[in-house]
Amino acid sequence: MEDKTKRYEKVEFLGEGQFATVYKARDIHNDNIVAVKKIKLGSRAEAKDGINRTALREVKLLQELKHPNIINLMDVFGHKSNVSLVFDFMDTDLEVIIKDNSIVLTPAHIKAYVLMTLQGLEYLHMNWILHRDLKPNNLLVNSNGILKIGDFGLAKFFGSPNRIYTHQVVTRWYRSPELLFGARIYGTGVDMWAVGCILAELLLRVPFLPGESDLDQLTRIFQALGTPTEVVWPGMEALPDYIQFKSFPGTPFRHIFTAASDDLLELLENLLSLYPLKRCTCEKALKMAYFSNKPYPSPGSQLPLPSSIQPNVGVNKPTLKRKLMDSLEGVSQPKRLIF
Amino acid sequence: MAGNFWQSSHHQQWLLDRQDLIRERQQDLTVLTEEEYQKIFIFFSNLIQILGEQLKLRQQVIATATVFFKRFYARNSLKCIDPLLLAPTCVFLSSKVEEFGVISNSRLITTCQTVVKNKFSYAYTQEFPYRTNHILECEFYLLENLDCCLIVYQPYRPLLQLIQDIGHEEQLLALAWRVVNDSLRTDVSLLYPPYQIALGCLQIACVILHKDLKTWFAELNVDIEKIQEIARYVVNLFELWKSYDEKKDIQALLAKMPKPKTQPSR
Repeated sequence: MEDKTKRYEKVEFLGEGQFATVYKARDIHNDNIVAVKKIKLGSRAEAKDGINRTALREVKLLQELKHPNIINLMDVFGHKSNVSLVFDFMDTDLEVIIKDNSIVLTPAHIKAYVLMTLQGLEYLHMNWILHRDLKPNNLLVNSNGILKIGDFGLAKFFGSPNRIYTHQVVTRWYRSPELLFGARIYGTGVDMWAVGCILAELLLRVPFLPGESDLDQLTRIFQALGTPTEVVWPGMEALPDYIQFKSFPGTPFRHIFTAASDDLLELLENLLSLYPLKRCTCEKALKMAYFSNKPYPSPGSQLPLPSSIQPNVGVNKPTLKRKLMDSLEGVSQPKRLIF
Repeated sequence: MAGNFWQSSHHQQWLLDRQDLIRERQQDLTVLTEEEYQKIFIFFSNLIQILGEQLKLRQQVIATATVFFKRFYARNSLKCIDPLLLAPTCVFLSSKVEEFGVISNSRLITTCQTVVKNKFSYAYTQEFPYRTNHILECEFYLLENLDCCLIVYQPYRPLLQLIQDIGHEEQLLALAWRVVNDSLRTDVSLLYPPYQIALGCLQIACVILHKDLKTWFAELNVDIEKIQEIARYVVNLFELWKSYDEKKDIQALLAKMPKPKTQPSR
């Protein structure tokens, strides 16, 4: 068997997460640029458990999933508990794009991002998989403007009616109220809520509900949406961690998202419905007027990218600055003959 | 289990052709006859089953481990990895894939030791020779040879649905369930989709219980030819069981089996 550790040549370090470090690498077989996610070894006790569970979960699910808006697992290599996963290389993510103040996000851009997110998520939900950790940072974007859902370390099958799940999932700011109240049985609604928060963040360019603790998170949710009653949300008081909150009246979305169109607000209200069973599904969301009304979603090639990423510019092209310098100083740099 | 079987790696990559299977086994079949080969796989399926029961695993986890085991040797000779090492490795990987709680490696090894000593002393005179590091090394090799395809669809859920359709049939379900367990000792899990296996096993259970479900079977929209083939595999297994005493013959078979060149020293 070939030695795959040599097949992928490290180009640069990209980042480090809780479970893994990620590198940009070149596949020497075909010169493709890929992302290599190397799962951290962890403690010696963890190493004794063999292949890391989080990595295994990711491999297991991604092996079955093929969709243009889902990250593609290309290869797995390693040895013993030292596992690396090879993915499509994605240049950036939605968090970077949202935070980049030099980027202007037009309604058409926002529609394109939400559309791609919902299409990928619809496919996941159709396959009975909950992502459980949607956030701008996990929505990866490549230089062609294509968005793919990534990081399946927390993803899980759903649908068995008596399966008990942990509620300690989803980064807090994107966590739905039922999770915050400790629900152990939940469904696609947790992902839909997160999409709602992400859409709001695309509009505001700052996190919509940046709670500092789980309690603060609920307070912020109810300040924005109004404190629900048993009438609005039947069964809420029976949830394990339910506590009574001060009764906030809520703020109309129109006042928070002043620049948003009516059809967008309609989508947002459906995504951020407090009662999980009234929250819309991907299928329903994609059928809403917002997606068929103008402006139409921007095609990938017209979506903005951070200035550090230049789409499809040849690396060897001399920059204008270099050309100017050359003409100023004559032949400033030794020229090499290339055969 | 969830997801979509028709788009799964199980359906697209791991339903093999009988001819391919025979071709892949050629190397081992120069040493062993086809019947001997089958006996060895029956033996190790039993070992996985008992190992799983001792570890109190659900049948689903055991079944997935068995399919991993069969998939590995569908592509590799028996001499690539000692099946006595691969069997517990499959159990280890399967318990993680099926999100069954953690089996600690030391517990797995201890269980292997007691199972080999107490239940399979007729096959192995020496104690279980492998340690944690062998299993960990083997685990990755297994994952690679499975092409990272880890989700296995089992006939148990379709069986439940079919029984529901027939009507309340406790006895039939219990027997058909056991026939499905038995079918893990044949090649059907490598050759046919799980819903067909469920039907094949259900048919056998009907015959055993003298239950006449001809009209129900007649109304099914399935390739009945395939169902018969599956039933034949299982019936052949029953025939083989009748004619053979594993306790007497297995040691000689294991001695004859192609082996890896290096074995652990103990």
